[in-house]
Amino acid sequence: MDFSKLLENEYVILDGGMGTMLQKSGLKLGDIPEVLNIENPEVVADIHRQYIEAGAQIISANTFGANGYKLKDSGYTVEEIISAGVKNAKSVAEGKALVALDIGPIGQLIEPSGAMTFQEAYEYFKEEILAGKDADVIFFETMTDLLELKAGILAAKENSCKPIVASMTFEENMRTFSGVSVGSAAITLQGLGVDAIGVNCSLGPDELAPVVKEFVKWSNIPVFVKPNAGLPDPNSNTYNVGPVDFAESMAKIAEYGTVKLMGGCCGTTPEYIKELKKALNCKKYKKATVTADTAICSGTTVCEISQPRVIGERINPTGKKLFKQALIDNDIDYILNQAISQVHAGADILDVNVGLPEIDEKEMMVKVVKALQSVVDVPLQIDSTKPDVLDAALRIYNGKPIVNSVNGEEKSLDTVLPLVKKYGASVIGLTLDKDGIPKTAEGRFEIAKKIVERAKALGISPKDVYIDCLTLTVSAEQEGCRETLKALHRVKTELGCKTCLGVSNISFGLPNRKLVNHIFLTMALEEGLDLPIINPNDVEMMGAIYAYKVLANIDKNSTAFIEKYNDAVVEKPKQTNSEITLSYAIMNGLKSEASALTEKALENTDPMDIVNNELIPALDKVGMDFEKGKIFLPQLIQSANVAQVCFEVIKKHLSQSNNAPVSKGKIILATVKGDIHDIGKNIVKVLLDNYGYTVVDLGRDVDPQAVVDTAIKQDIKMIGLSALMTTTLKSMEDTIALVRNTKELQNPDGSSKCVIFVGGAVLTEDYAMKIGADYYCKDAKESVDTAKKVLG
Amino acid sequence: MIALNKIDREEAVRYLGNSGVEMNSTMEGILDICEEKILATAKPKYLYKTVALENSGLLVGNSISNHLENCQNAVILCATLGADIDKLIRTAQITDMAQAVVIDSMSSVAVEQICNKVEELIIAENPTLFTTWRFSPGYGDYPIELQSDFLRILDAPRKIGLCTNNNSILTPTKSVTAIIGLSETPIEQKRRGCQSCNLAKTCKFRKAGNHCGF
Repeated sequence: MDFSKLLENEYVILDGGMGTMLQKSGLKLGDIPEVLNIENPEVVADIHRQYIEAGAQIISANTFGANGYKLKDSGYTVEEIISAGVKNAKSVAEGKALVALDIGPIGQLIEPSGAMTFQEAYEYFKEEILAGKDADVIFFETMTDLLELKAGILAAKENSCKPIVASMTFEENMRTFSGVSVGSAAITLQGLGVDAIGVNCSLGPDELAPVVKEFVKWSNIPVFVKPNAGLPDPNSNTYNVGPVDFAESMAKIAEYGTVKLMGGCCGTTPEYIKELKKALNCKKYKKATVTADTAICSGTTVCEISQPRVIGERINPTGKKLFKQALIDNDIDYILNQAISQVHAGADILDVNVGLPEIDEKEMMVKVVKALQSVVDVPLQIDSTKPDVLDAALRIYNGKPIVNSVNGEEKSLDTVLPLVKKYGASVIGLTLDKDGIPKTAEGRFEIAKKIVERAKALGISPKDVYIDCLTLTVSAEQEGCRETLKALHRVKTELGCKTCLGVSNISFGLPNRKLVNHIFLTMALEEGLDLPIINPNDVEMMGAIYAYKVLANIDKNSTAFIEKYNDAVVEKPKQTNSEITLSYAIMNGLKSEASALTEKALENTDPMDIVNNELIPALDKVGMDFEKGKIFLPQLIQSANVAQVCFEVIKKHLSQSNNAPVSKGKIILATVKGDIHDIGKNIVKVLLDNYGYTVVDLGRDVDPQAVVDTAIKQDIKMIGLSALMTTTLKSMEDTIALVRNTKELQNPDGSSKCVIFVGGAVLTEDYAMKIGADYYCKDAKESVDTAKKVLG
Repeated sequence: MIALNKIDREEAVRYLGNSGVEMNSTMEGILDICEEKILATAKPKYLYKTVALENSGLLVGNSISNHLENCQNAVILCATLGADIDKLIRTAQITDMAQAVVIDSMSSVAVEQICNKVEELIIAENPTLFTTWRFSPGYGDYPIELQSDFLRILDAPRKIGLCTNNNSILTPTKSVTAIIGLSETPIEQKRRGCQSCNLAKTCKFRKAGNHCGF
């Protein structure tokens, strides 16, 4: 018997709670239950036996928490505990039931909520999977973070050929603790190619019913359900649903269809499984129809392509000087700002392209995708021409992304589509091949067809291929526009694919480009365009989409349109009150006024005069007020932010007139290894930026080597380190030591080239000196004073 | 279920290290916006459990032994505002740093307020017993590493999604673990002072050799 055979049954009965049973047998709270696999295997075996007698067709080995992190002080290795657990279960199962290698969460949160990296999680899971190689199937259960679960599934797929069941734990608000929605889980996990998906633990069967219903809506594969025996009483730890009621509720859940694997979690016992088996006895399984359209998602948010969805195009260095500079300077915040403003403007999906010859695109792509997913909820479109960049980004992406792109060329089909399949993404298919872009709609349609067929052959659904029929510049090839739209229409109606288009290319070389773009977008929408790739900050383009959705009867009762425009504040022309001076605006946190005043001043004042005579003195005044206890810290920061806006205006002005922005010197900032509290460091960054220093921000949880490498590579003489916790001061000490001991960072006489300043809540001046820092800065203001002293 | 409906502003300002600065309308405005955001985002969760202290492995160091003198049992507790607050703080750091620092300090206050309410529940559930004030790993010489034991006993990772990392940092970050002693005889109220303050190790006043007078 194997798992796929078992699935041919109407239903598959699973076992019930293990922890509950072990506690009954005298396991103490806080003890590691998996240690019993070695120290008292008979107790565990007896529980397995009872579940098999009750009717369980798959039993879970007692391996749920047996990972390297949780077992580190247990005195046993993962290999010892897991192989004993699987062996123990197998000896009882003896062909009467299958044995699942049961895998739970690692026990610490993965980035960005925690400090565990994707790769660390992967390694923990890999160790478990290799140790449990004798099991028949792998169960991931009680997972709350989709990215951690993805690491587990990849570890399973890459180190084993066993079937995989992936189950997460949802609260009554239909989300996991880390905010994962049911739709996101269902879409992502199916994409990764698991054999069943579902939900376990947290609530009783009645409370979980809506979660299961939602899974059924999205699921093409069997659904797995293991509820608790109701809700626990916090004091007695007993549960409020008995075996008969439990079974009755489960039988109702089975009616939803697609639900195939059923058992119990906390609080359930063999009695529950016996009743469950009885209740399902003469029931017939049915597969429910999936009602959802094709969709992509992040960990928290699903974007169903059931109506036009906007892909924001702004995260792309092409033709953008400041964006290019930001990439070179590793200025991730600049990119995050671009992302947040597009989302606020209404983007449903963000395209992410960070390709630039001067940088390591793969490293940057991974960094940017991680950073974006830590602040925005919309799904991403990974945009690169390099398969290794796509691979790296797809691996650590939380959810189901779009890959941009594949085309009709053999090489592209052969390298990109397997990645799309492996990571369960959707893909943009460009209708071009080695001969370029066909002139006619027929030619492009044929390429689209070829891409779809090749995708299908790999098991990628045509619904996950979004065809781009390519916009050509109408001023160069006027007949091209019609051909693009004709091809789009055919792809949509004949191939059943979703379609996308970059819109703004159409108007190159024409005056009043906005108008042309706007009309072209509307024409394309009417031909069936699903995914316009546009600049969402362009108010008219977004307006066209909102209006289209009303006219096409998508936006029912014009709800979204009215919400958007009814109370729309007519943007006031930038007018400045003549009473307000630049320094007043800075000191009072008036961003837009300050920006307008700076622009005005640039008309007749030298940029550096504005900086030295207006901005810096105003900042100094605010700094003084702060030191004297006249204003609060947030006010100091607010003023700094306003000044930052002024600097941006000046920088833009300088870059337009081809003057390189003036920098007073480079400074590395990093929150040390192991520490994830970086707010203090970020305050320092804002202030240093303002005083004209170029900050190379390495982020938080930074490896000492990364600090050293950056200092060498960019020839940086000043380094600021922060740590909030007493437990991470050691990392600060290590980082300083590594800087001091690195030959490349020493002068010929052996003295250090680098000046190191440190700060952070738990630090004191004495301690800072003891660990070898040059300066201790008690707050952000003092960091600026120190930078002035060192760099001038 | 414990709800959060108001955040102690005076305390938040103290956490910012700005005690003594006179309130002004700009700061009031920032506080209003941030409070609203936190109340809309926080998903407070907590757990507590009574444990016998003998052989529990929980009495490590002098501070806690002193604190729990004459207590046979104790209640260990944990509370968190959830992971969304961390995301709120991260995002604010990109869009508005001034708000970010206020949200940061107000959230720290908010999770303490949740703990205050949990403490009230514990006192109400033990009407015949005397309780100590709550003491957290990291106070005095009580090892911060014990946080992971607290969480394991409470089954906190599974039940409320609260974990620690390798450096004993709680994640989500706006979280607390603590212990409250239960005694059958009245407890000599030990001086609360700086030792029990969350800011004891980070306090600007203490670094300067003073105290805030709290």
